[in-house]
Amino acid sequence: MTLKECYTAMGSDYEDVFGRLRSERLVQKFVLKFLDDECFSTLCSSLETGAQEEAFRAAHTIKGMCQNLSFTKLAASSSNITEALRAGDMAAAKDMLDSVRGDYELTAEAIRAFKAGQNL
Amino acid sequence: MGKEKILIVDDSEMNRSILADILGENYYIIEAEDGNEAVELLEKMHKEIDLVLLDIVMPNMDGFGVLNAMNEKHWIDSSPVIMVTAEREASQVERAYELGVTDFIIRPFDSYIVRHRVVNTLLLYAKQKRLMATVREQLEEKEKFSSTMIDILSHIVETRNGESGLHVLHVRAITDFLLRRLRLLTDDYPLTDELITLISNASALHDIGKMAIDESILNKPGRFTDEEYEIMKTHTTIGAKMLEGESLRPDDPLVAAAYEICRWHHERYDGRGYPDGLKGDEIPISAQVVALADVYDALTSIRVYKASYSHETAIEMILDGKCGTFNPLLLDCLRGSADDLKKKLEGNVAEDMDRQEIRSVTEAALSGKAGSVSERTLNLLDYERRQTEIEAESANKDNDN
Repeated sequence: MTLKECYTAMGSDYEDVFGRLRSERLVQKFVLKFLDDECFSTLCSSLETGAQEEAFRAAHTIKGMCQNLSFTKLAASSSNITEALRAGDMAAAKDMLDSVRGDYELTAEAIRAFKAGQNL
Repeated sequence: MGKEKILIVDDSEMNRSILADILGENYYIIEAEDGNEAVELLEKMHKEIDLVLLDIVMPNMDGFGVLNAMNEKHWIDSSPVIMVTAEREASQVERAYELGVTDFIIRPFDSYIVRHRVVNTLLLYAKQKRLMATVREQLEEKEKFSSTMIDILSHIVETRNGESGLHVLHVRAITDFLLRRLRLLTDDYPLTDELITLISNASALHDIGKMAIDESILNKPGRFTDEEYEIMKTHTTIGAKMLEGESLRPDDPLVAAAYEICRWHHERYDGRGYPDGLKGDEIPISAQVVALADVYDALTSIRVYKASYSHETAIEMILDGKCGTFNPLLLDCLRGSADDLKKKLEGNVAEDMDRQEIRSVTEAALSGKAGSVSERTLNLLDYERRQTEIEAESANKDNDN
């Protein structure tokens, strides 16, 4: 699996990220790092405990990462939940979580497959 | 010269990492993961940090918190900030610019744009810093040069007039001291630091008019006749005229200050001075202060015909109105700062040491001119004594106007 194929698998835009960062090495480095990032679990747990500020920041960070890496699908859903949380609407945010989770899993799966394929 | 140091402040490790990677090996990167950490680092290293890449949304202290701190402590004056954000709302952008942000980098990152914004900002600030340093250096040199020129000229005047070398220095020091104290006491006179320095420097020229007084009068042994006294008084208007020379611009602040001082340092607050009989605040404050400094120094200096009065006696005589009339505000000022003035003058001798060079230059230049110093001194002192006596007398003496 090439990096580009990985991107396709997760409904993301490789041309876009490559156009901006201009380095396959750079893109790959951070795609792999994404797997280790804890923001998503932080988002889930803070939504459960009702920690609105924390949830907002976690969502905002995920959104940022996705925008940087052109993870188009996840960027869209995390953006929505970020706005809900910014407005303080915990209820709406909780409703959106499933959608976000779905996109997150899709993304993570694709990356894991890529990683395995590269024997990394 | 070493790499430039860039502080990256973002709570997302990925963001920091991507930025660091984009910027590459050319810079020394320091990272902070929230506002508090950033402020701590800036506290320690702000002088070395050449640029700050600053996120807005962060826990504990956000980007605006950091900007506020940077403004309060003036770190922002030497460390430019590029805000890194996904926020595009107008209010955030405006607010950031108002807080002194140099530019924005919008997420998602474009490596080309990031690199060029950083390079351009660093270049701009480096250039500014260099320019500021150059301007500062040149200003300092220019002031030193002016000061030296004035010193040389004033020593020429002294040598011909036979005054003591310390007189000019004292008058300058006392003028400077009194002006600064006066400023604390009242807002009536617009006294900036520059103006005070200007007036103090110009005070060195207060007796240049004496250069044109005939040596036969300057050198005359014994007392002056009324006629000779009148001629001596003209040193005020002559000095002023010297400052109207063709190549001198009347709007030049130094020329203007020197003119005021030369012409009017013998005016009296009650209008009975000379040459123009100006009264009260018609007399420019520069001339008022130099007049007082001049009288004080005359009283406290050793002269051939008298010992010096002590500082305390001199102050008393002045405050009692025995040596002319002065602005009551000025007298208050003197009264309140007399002790400090004494201390300041006691410490002044050191300055005299570096002037030795200047003095030998001017003395050499004037060597061979007629008259022995001691004769001239006698004369001048007689004139000064006469001055002081006249100031001390009551209304009988008929002055001009």
